[in-house]
Amino acid sequence: MQRVLRIQAALGSAIREYLNGEGFTELLPPIIGPVTDPGIRGAKQATIDFYGREYKVMSSAILYKQMMAASLGRIYFFSPNVRLEPLETAATGRHLVEFVQVDVEESGATCEDAMRRAESLVASVSRYAKDRLGSELAALGRTLNGAAPPFRRLSYGATLEILKGHGRDIPYGVEIPWAHEEFLSSLFAEPFFIHDYPRGSRGFYDREDPSRPGILKDFDLLYPEGYGEASSGAEREYEYAKVIARLRETGENPAKYEWYLDMLREGIPASAGFGIGVERLTRYICGLKSVWEARPYPKVAGVFSP
Amino acid sequence: MSEPLTKLSFKVASVRSAAAAGRTFLESYPVEEIVQKAKLGKDALYPFSDLDEYGRALLGADISQRQPTRFSTLDQLVLLPPVFTPRRLEKMTELQREPLYSDVVLEAAIGGFRSRLPVTMASMGSTEVAHAASAQLGKGAAEAGIPMGLGENIATVWGYAKRTKASMPTFKQRLFAYLDALDGTYGGVVVQQSVEDAYDELWNKVYTDPDIEPHVRKGHVAFEVKLGQGAKPGLGGETKVSRDQAKSLKGKYYFPEDPEAVARDRYERHSAPGTYTEEILRAQLRSLRNNFPRAKIWVKSGPFRDLLALFRVAAQERIDAVLVDGKEGGTGMSPVIALKDLGLPTLACLKRIYDARVEGHLTPYVLSGRLHDGGHVVKALALGATACSLGRPFIVASGVAGAKGITNYLEATEIEMRMLISSVGKYTTRDLSLEDVGSLDRHVADALNIPYVYA
Repeated sequence: MQRVLRIQAALGSAIREYLNGEGFTELLPPIIGPVTDPGIRGAKQATIDFYGREYKVMSSAILYKQMMAASLGRIYFFSPNVRLEPLETAATGRHLVEFVQVDVEESGATCEDAMRRAESLVASVSRYAKDRLGSELAALGRTLNGAAPPFRRLSYGATLEILKGHGRDIPYGVEIPWAHEEFLSSLFAEPFFIHDYPRGSRGFYDREDPSRPGILKDFDLLYPEGYGEASSGAEREYEYAKVIARLRETGENPAKYEWYLDMLREGIPASAGFGIGVERLTRYICGLKSVWEARPYPKVAGVFSP
Repeated sequence: MSEPLTKLSFKVASVRSAAAAGRTFLESYPVEEIVQKAKLGKDALYPFSDLDEYGRALLGADISQRQPTRFSTLDQLVLLPPVFTPRRLEKMTELQREPLYSDVVLEAAIGGFRSRLPVTMASMGSTEVAHAASAQLGKGAAEAGIPMGLGENIATVWGYAKRTKASMPTFKQRLFAYLDALDGTYGGVVVQQSVEDAYDELWNKVYTDPDIEPHVRKGHVAFEVKLGQGAKPGLGGETKVSRDQAKSLKGKYYFPEDPEAVARDRYERHSAPGTYTEEILRAQLRSLRNNFPRAKIWVKSGPFRDLLALFRVAAQERIDAVLVDGKEGGTGMSPVIALKDLGLPTLACLKRIYDARVEGHLTPYVLSGRLHDGGHVVKALALGATACSLGRPFIVASGVAGAKGITNYLEATEIEMRMLISSVGKYTTRDLSLEDVGSLDRHVADALNIPYVYA
């Protein structure tokens, strides 16, 4: 465990080194706010009583990072998130209720830019691990495959075809279930992308491709060898009227997102970015069986632990 | 007439007392029939009064309508038994004896659930009448083996797990009154979420609740996107709440009168109807599937003019069931002008369901809106519905004899359905079809493409 935590700290430095070198500014992450990311796949948000009003603990700081990129250009933060996941996630080996993700956002960037950025971040961290953490990894019995860009890119449609070829039929429009994602990931030896998710499978802030209605300009980056999802990213929906319509997909009253919508109404520039989970990255680099081995005091759905 | 008397008569005319309202309900709704069924079960099926005995009854039940409505209803349809019944021959071959009405198979698959009958208990919401009766309603529905709806705003108004009023159950208590009484084979619960419930993430709460988890795993939980309600399509929910409640709900609902500023006993509470386009609905349904893969997804629609377009979206998105509430449905706390002027009558909704079947859609459709006996259900099934959803009859029945009133009422209704289905020479609900119904009204006959019985 100590070894894993030391490796995790080193990976944190590697991430900062890479992003700072690329001109990104590290900001302090918001922890609570009147609203948070509703696109969290069945999980429930944690709430706190904020002087008589209900505030949310960040399930992700997506709304804030969009605003911060509008003002500072290239930004990132190590953002602690809480998602009260359904009990079924306790057995996936990939879900934590409390976790940290590095949230990266770049003003003026496209989906393609964000994919290249995620690719080069993961490649550079992998290289760092191989070059400088070799003996620590060897002690864990872990041999890391290469991660040389460009990573393979599969469209969502092509991914369904691959899964279908293995007798795993998933109807179009449905998010790839966890067990299938793990299987898919086990077919590859290097990280790879799934892109072009259909509308309805992702949060309202993933931009719909204006030239291909129904298709989002977004992606997942997956680790190989069965480790599954590393990162989700997208170009952002930033035009007020489009966001209002997309927000209704959550079944909510847009009034709840007042501060965010006010900002959009005034106008913010386009941006793109992604979030990469620190514990999942650690799990992959160290070759751990479960993600809860990759942080101190892990919280797993339904398990009462310190 | 002296001036004070005139004033008095105006005043009398302007007050619609509770007694008068009750009398209107008794006159315009077959309350007595439902009460008899709730008390006596199958013994209520024959019109014997306390004075009559079998074989000596002179008069049957009143078969005319007491108060005709302004629009056509399922009561304008009759079932048409034939003399030649090839399906009965098939059944006889199977059974090696003459088939009886008791041989009709009524079990139904409705929106991912198994149901003992092609009937569901309609979603009732946060109104006091439904909420106070909810323990009996839930128990009755579960014991009868039919799915039950849980309407909007229950958790928001009465609390999810912590009571907002000492004497009233919480959302979870209402849910478990039903789930705890299920036999493990039949039934399932359909949970609605209003825009206001969404604010509190009701579905996420249900989906992540360890107490509910075993039922989610067994596939007994559905989430229902509510697009509208029979009596008030295009309008949101309205009800009246106490001042304490109004104060606590102020941020989430629209109150024409500010409960902080104006002192009243009760405050009107309005919720928004919710904005949809085809694209928004499609994406919302997809996210529901993605977010809650182990829940069934239902859609409840009001009597909208574009029902067919909705049916197409539902079919493409593989929705588990679409419930269509005709304008006669969900009338509690609806504005009078809406009752009068908004939406398609239940029979017109049924016509849209029939049209969807002609287009080849296989989605289970559940029809509701002033349906209260076995005849209504059988006619709806013959025209393409998968099941019917009943609301008011269950409230009346539970008022008469609690959960037992509900099972009694359903026992009577079940036998009515068996009798009617067997009378047209059929023994499964699936075999019912257009040929089994005729109309007493020429326009209805033309519209539904069924015989005008006098022609």
